[in-house]
Amino acid sequence: MSDSFKIAVSSTALSALKSRIESATFPDELDDAGWAYGVPLADMKRLVARWRDGFDWRQEEQKLNNELPQFTRDIEVDGFGSLNVHYVYKKSDTGAGIPLLFVHGWPGSFLESRKIIPLLTKGSGDSQCPVFDVVAISLPGFGFSEAPKKKGFSLSQYVEVSHKLMIALGYTEYVTQGGDFGSRVTAEIARRYGGTHSKAWHTNVLFSLPPENDDPSIYTASEKEGLARWQEFQRSGSGYFQLHSTKPQTLGYSLADSPVGLLAWIYEKLVSWSDNYPWTDDEVLTWVSIYWFSRAGPAASIRFYYEVAHSGQALGTKSSPPTIPMGCSLFPKELIRIPKSWYPGVGDVVFEAEHDKGGHFAAHEQPELLVGDLRKMFGKGGPVYGVVTGRDGYN
Amino acid sequence: MSVELPFQISIPDFKLDLLRQKLALTEFPDELENTGWNYGAPLSDIKRLVARWKDGYDWKLEEAKLNQDLPQFTKDIEVNGFETLNIHYVHQESSLANAIPLLFVHGWPGSFIEVRKILPLLVQSSPQFPAFHVVALSLPGFGFSEGAHKPGFAAEQYAEVAHKLMLSLGYHEYVTQGGDWGYVITRIIAHRYGGKYSKAWHTNFPLATPLNISVNPILFLQHLFTPYTAAEKAGIERSKRFEKEGQGYFHEQSTKPQTLGYSLADSPVGLLAWIYEKLATWTDSYPWTDDEVLTWVTIFYFSRAGPAASIRIYYEFVHSANGSQPSSFKPMIPLGVSHFPEELRITPRKFVHSVGNLVFQVEHSTGGHFAAYECPDELVDDLRKMFGKRGPAFGVVPGKNGYERRIRANL
Repeated sequence: MSDSFKIAVSSTALSALKSRIESATFPDELDDAGWAYGVPLADMKRLVARWRDGFDWRQEEQKLNNELPQFTRDIEVDGFGSLNVHYVYKKSDTGAGIPLLFVHGWPGSFLESRKIIPLLTKGSGDSQCPVFDVVAISLPGFGFSEAPKKKGFSLSQYVEVSHKLMIALGYTEYVTQGGDFGSRVTAEIARRYGGTHSKAWHTNVLFSLPPENDDPSIYTASEKEGLARWQEFQRSGSGYFQLHSTKPQTLGYSLADSPVGLLAWIYEKLVSWSDNYPWTDDEVLTWVSIYWFSRAGPAASIRFYYEVAHSGQALGTKSSPPTIPMGCSLFPKELIRIPKSWYPGVGDVVFEAEHDKGGHFAAHEQPELLVGDLRKMFGKGGPVYGVVTGRDGYN
Repeated sequence: MSVELPFQISIPDFKLDLLRQKLALTEFPDELENTGWNYGAPLSDIKRLVARWKDGYDWKLEEAKLNQDLPQFTKDIEVNGFETLNIHYVHQESSLANAIPLLFVHGWPGSFIEVRKILPLLVQSSPQFPAFHVVALSLPGFGFSEGAHKPGFAAEQYAEVAHKLMLSLGYHEYVTQGGDWGYVITRIIAHRYGGKYSKAWHTNFPLATPLNISVNPILFLQHLFTPYTAAEKAGIERSKRFEKEGQGYFHEQSTKPQTLGYSLADSPVGLLAWIYEKLATWTDSYPWTDDEVLTWVTIFYFSRAGPAASIRIYYEFVHSANGSQPSSFKPMIPLGVSHFPEELRITPRKFVHSVGNLVFQVEHSTGGHFAAYECPDELVDDLRKMFGKRGPAFGVVPGKNGYERRIRANL
C-alpha cells in the first residue's frame, strides 16, 4: 500500500540545473533600491553563485532522507482518480503518540516539518509532555506528490486527500496543525470531519470575517497594528496572490524555465514573511531546490490559488466555523492578526499563546515555541488532553 | 540643444545566438486539461511560438524592415533632479512643411513599434485631411531608450522627457496621442505644458473617474437619469471582468517589479508568455501572426535597459505623490477620445468629461487596447476629423494646420 521513499534527484536533472544557472542572465537594479522593489540584486547574485558552486544538493538530499522517513501511496480523490501522495511519517518514540497531521502552505513544503518532528516524536525525555505520531503530507502539486491533471482541484480535494491519508495510516481519529494554506485546509478538515475524525486543530494563522456587531473601538493597540499590517500586506505584498489566483499558467512558464526566477519568487517571501530569521544560503537553496525538483514542477504549486478563488471558497467567503476545539499560536510577524472579537468566526478557541518573536514560517523559525504550545494544548492539564481516544501522548 | 544622432537597430549576432541557445533549452511547465485561456497563455501557443522563435523567425529581416519603415534617432534629454537619459525615438516629417507636430506616446507592453502603421498615414499630405509631423519616443526603460537609474522616476519625469524631446526638435507647439501609460503621460503633458506648448490631446484610453455632483452637476444628473447604452453596459461588464481576473500583472509590477524582473530577464519563454498573454487578450480578435508577436517581444528582450526595466513604470507611477490617476486636475486644452469596444476599462460616456475638455468623441464597433496597431485607419481617421478643417481642434497649432498654405492674391 505504501512505498518507502527516498529523494533521489537524477544526475541529469542536477547537471541540467547547473547549466541553466551558469547561463543565468541578470537584470540591472535601481540605485539604492534596497528591498523596496523586490529582492535585491546582490542577494540574488550571491545565492546564484552559491547554487552554482558550493551548494551540495546531494548532501542536503541525504540529510533529508536520513532525518525524515518518507513514503508514497496512492490516494483516490473523487473525480480526479488516484494521486500518488508523498509524505513524511514518523511515529513517536514511546508509543501512544497523538496522531498529528501537519499541513504546509506556499511557498512551504514537507520541509517545514523538519525541525518540529524530532521534538514532537521524542518528547522532552522526562515524560512530562505528550508525544505525537507526525504525518507531514506534501500537498498534491508540491514536493514529491503527484499533481492533479484536471482543473477544479480545490480546497475540498486537498481536504479529502489529507483526511484519506490519515485514515489509510490507521488513524481514524487525529489532530492537525497548519499554517498558510495549511491553515485553510485544516480548518476545512475540522469543519467536515470534526468530531468523528479530526478531534482538535491548531493553527498559527487565524482568519475570519468580522462579526455582525463588530465594534472597532474596543480593539487593542496590537490588534489595530495587526489589522494595519494586513492592509499593508494587501496593498504592497499581495501581487503574487493576485497573479496566482488569476494567471498561474502565464507565470508558470517563468517559474518552470528559470531557476533564478523561481529563486527570487520564493526567496522574497522567505525573507519578508519571517521575523529576521537568519536564513543561510544553503537553507534557502534547499527550500527552493525542492520546488525546482518537485515531481509536478514549479508551475503546479501555484494553481491552488486559482482553484480556491474560482470555487466559491476564496478567503473571506462566509462559512460556519468548525465546532471542535482549536488552539492558536500568535507570532508577531505573521501576515495577519485578527482582533479577539473575531475569534468566534474562526472556531472554538480553547488555547491561545502569544509570542514576541517569530513570523509566518512558525515551524521553521520557532520550532521550540510552536511545539511548546502543542505540548501545552494537548498535554496533561491542557484543554484538549486525551482528545484522541486511546492515544493521549503518554505511555 | 543636444545632438540628434540617426539610429539603426542592430542586434549583434552573438546576442541572437545566445537567445537561440536559451530557447533550445526551454523547460516547459505542464498544463491542466481543458483550461483554454483561463489560467493564462495556453501551452500549445507558447510551444509553437518558442519553436518559431528558435527556428524560422528571422530577426535580422524584421530589424531591417523596422529600420526601413521607421526613421529613428537618439538624443540626450536632461531630466530635472534626475539624470540625462539617452532617448530613442522615431521621427518623420511630413512633406508638407506646416504639418501638425504630433507626439505619440506608447504604454506597456507596447513600444515605439505601435506607431508603425499609423506613421505613413499621418504624414500624408492631402487637401482632404491634415498632415502631421510625427514623433514617437521610446519611453525611458523601453525599446532603445536608456532606463532611469534612480528610484522615483515617475509620471512627471516621463512627461518632462517627452515634452523636452519635442522642444529639442523645434516643435514648441504640438499635439499628442496616447493610450495605456501614454494616456497618463499625455494627460500630465496637457496639464503641465498645456496651453503654451501642448495645444490639444487625443486618447483611446480615457481612464475616467465617476462624476462628482459638486463638480459636474449637470453631467452628474444626466448620467443618473440616462440609461446606459448597450455598448456601455457591455463595456462595464468587461471592465469588471478585467478588474477581477486581469489585474494580477498590475499588482505585481506596481509592488515587486524587481522580483518579477529576474524571471523576465533570465527566461525568454517567461517574457514571451508574459507579453503574449496581453497581446492576445487585450485586442479585439486581432489576427496576430507568430512573427508579429515575436518581433514585439524581441524588442523587449533586446531592449537597451533589459526586460526587467520597463515594468518599473508601474511601481513608480503608483507610488508617486499623485498615484497613477491624478484626478485633482483637469487639463483645459481640447481633448479628443476614441472609444474602442474591447478596451480594458470602459467607463460610462458621461464620465469622460471628468478627464479633460472634451471636444471630440467617437465610438467604434471593433478594436481593442492597442488601437494604433489594431485599427490604424480608424484612429488616423479620428485624428484627421479632430484636427481637420471642420474639426473642433482645427488650427490649434498656430501656423501649422496641416494643410497646404494658400497664397492669397493681392487685389
